[in-house]
Amino acid sequence: MAEEKKGRAVATQTAARIPKFVRGNLSATLKAKEEGKKVAKAYIADGQDEIMRAMDIVPAWGESFSGVCAAKRDAEKYLQKAESDNFSRSLCTYATCHIGFEMIREEQGGAMPEGAPWGGMGRPDMILGNGQLLCDPRFKWPQALQHYLRDVPVFITNMYYPPWDPNTDHHEQEKFYVKYCMEELRETVKFCEKITGKKMDWDRLAAVVELSDKTWDLFIDTYDLRKAMPTPMDTGDAMNTMVPLTFNLGTQEAYDFYVELNKELKQKIADGVGVANPEKYRLIWAAGLPSWFALNDFQYFNGKGAVFPVEVTYRGCERIERLDLPKTNDPLEHIAWRWVRYWTHWYDAARKRPGSIPKVERIIEYIEDYKCDGAVFHSAFSCRSWHAGIIHQADVLRKIYKDIPILIMEGDIVDISSYNEADTHNRIDAFVETLEAYKSKRKN
Amino acid sequence: MAFVLGIDLGSGYSKAVVCEGGMVKSHAVMPSGGNYKDTARAVSERALQKMNLSQSDIRYTVATGYGAGMVDFADETVTDISCNGAGIQHIFPAVRTLIDIGSQFSRVIRVNDEGKVTSFIMNEKCAGGSGKFLQIIARILNIGLEEISALSLTATKPIEFTTGCAVFAESEAVSRISEGALPADILAGIHNAMASKIVTLVTRIGLEERCAITGGGAKDMGLVRTIGAELSTDVLVADEPQITAALGAAIIAAERISR
Repeated sequence: MAEEKKGRAVATQTAARIPKFVRGNLSATLKAKEEGKKVAKAYIADGQDEIMRAMDIVPAWGESFSGVCAAKRDAEKYLQKAESDNFSRSLCTYATCHIGFEMIREEQGGAMPEGAPWGGMGRPDMILGNGQLLCDPRFKWPQALQHYLRDVPVFITNMYYPPWDPNTDHHEQEKFYVKYCMEELRETVKFCEKITGKKMDWDRLAAVVELSDKTWDLFIDTYDLRKAMPTPMDTGDAMNTMVPLTFNLGTQEAYDFYVELNKELKQKIADGVGVANPEKYRLIWAAGLPSWFALNDFQYFNGKGAVFPVEVTYRGCERIERLDLPKTNDPLEHIAWRWVRYWTHWYDAARKRPGSIPKVERIIEYIEDYKCDGAVFHSAFSCRSWHAGIIHQADVLRKIYKDIPILIMEGDIVDISSYNEADTHNRIDAFVETLEAYKSKRKN
Repeated sequence: MAFVLGIDLGSGYSKAVVCEGGMVKSHAVMPSGGNYKDTARAVSERALQKMNLSQSDIRYTVATGYGAGMVDFADETVTDISCNGAGIQHIFPAVRTLIDIGSQFSRVIRVNDEGKVTSFIMNEKCAGGSGKFLQIIARILNIGLEEISALSLTATKPIEFTTGCAVFAESEAVSRISEGALPADILAGIHNAMASKIVTLVTRIGLEERCAITGGGAKDMGLVRTIGAELSTDVLVADEPQITAALGAAIIAAERISR
């Protein structure tokens, strides 16, 4: 029996619209099946969003679905199903939750598993895998899925970017990586054309890309409003408000969402309304996916006067101007440059500070810009590709920047069996006491 | 001078300390059992009785530990991490790194010259580095916890355990006993396994001299020596290491009434 937690309060009214947004994305996959549109099992933040949108392919986001299952505390049956076919619990639980769901559906001859959260997700007509350099499950997840969805074609690409090397000038390498990414994107288009039987409308793709760029800029402008003291929105809400950028990039509704959020945050600032009253400590969510079943922990922080005006997680964009992208009329080339520069534009700053690395340089920039007193990292055991470097980042931050209170939380993204609320709150309490000790020392 | 009370309700043992003017006047330790509420009353009464006091003589009470929220007569609750910091500063002001080995958790705490916590880290959800490991092994060796320390110091050939997991180590220990291994060597092997986990935590947070060990685990000199050897440092241990957090709670209580 699923354990439904009581609703989580959100600081902004705009964030309260997100469940409807997510539900809309899920139901779009079901509606697409009725309308004869193609559904693609797709992966977030990999440069393929705009291609799908321009070709009327409806994305079915496995990560989103697993996150919803976790938030509703209803993932266990899918995790157990995957485990029954020897998928280890130590694998990515986004993947195993989704695979378990698809396994049950296939066993039922395509019928939606009973009680699937928010009506479930449509069966894909294709799977677009993408390793995104860092995430190995994105290679194996599509292949594992095809083991059960035998008739569904899989296409796996990878959007590489120059790996960080303090002794190498990445500027010399970028063109090569952009060329590689463009080839990957071109092949993705060809694959999609083959499955849909339609040709890409390149003008439409260019318009979608232009809208994405506008959304990136607006997203950053809106999130920068959170620099205000007290901050009008914290990471607890941002784990919701990332949805349009992450899952609906290249759509008007995503852009419109941030227009509304921008307006609301400006009003809150004008009214002096903050997340915590009083706001005692400002924190950065420095790395890690959240425990989707325990988003209430952000409110636990807020209750102690601690707010998160900024987070690295799901801030998957940057102001376009800052990326200094070369001019091109080829939308795929633009996507490729935007992708590569999104990762490399912290490299120069990192090279200037001995011992630094780009990920830490980014954290330092946010700490300075958002005036943060401490940093919180979340290490999710099943997401090793991203979370393996978290302790290193925390160590480097302390070493090269300054002595700053750091909390490393441990848990998972989907698997609730790793979570202990009392222990987590005890750690948060102790961290808040540490923040206070630092504050008192600074005053003296 | 006013009396203050610190209570630490741990998952294994509960501790109470009565202080007056910054001096420990009495203390008590007892198993926590399953009813934290009753245990809190019982352990504090035991400490108070030694001074012929009652709860009404206490100006301020701070509760800490796993069951702190169950102490209905406390004026305030403070985390055991902060209380350990305050407690160790009172006992050994030079300590900057504190290893606390409790029944359920082991943690490494960095403190500044005021006893304020600057950083901390806890063992993951695993009994391998906590006092629970010792309790499991004591049970299968059929010895009391208080016997572990002296017995382990007589070890000549510590058993090398192939696992750091308390559950698997239990069955491995049973196998070794049936093979004729000596209890002292098994205990020394367990100490090595525990020390390895604890030292990993210290490495993650960084060791700053001086270093002390507190909690029930600090009463086990075999474990203390093993950790000290692994860290290549002399670790400090208080006369009553188990009451450090309760003492810290009492120190914080005294700070509150002096404001």
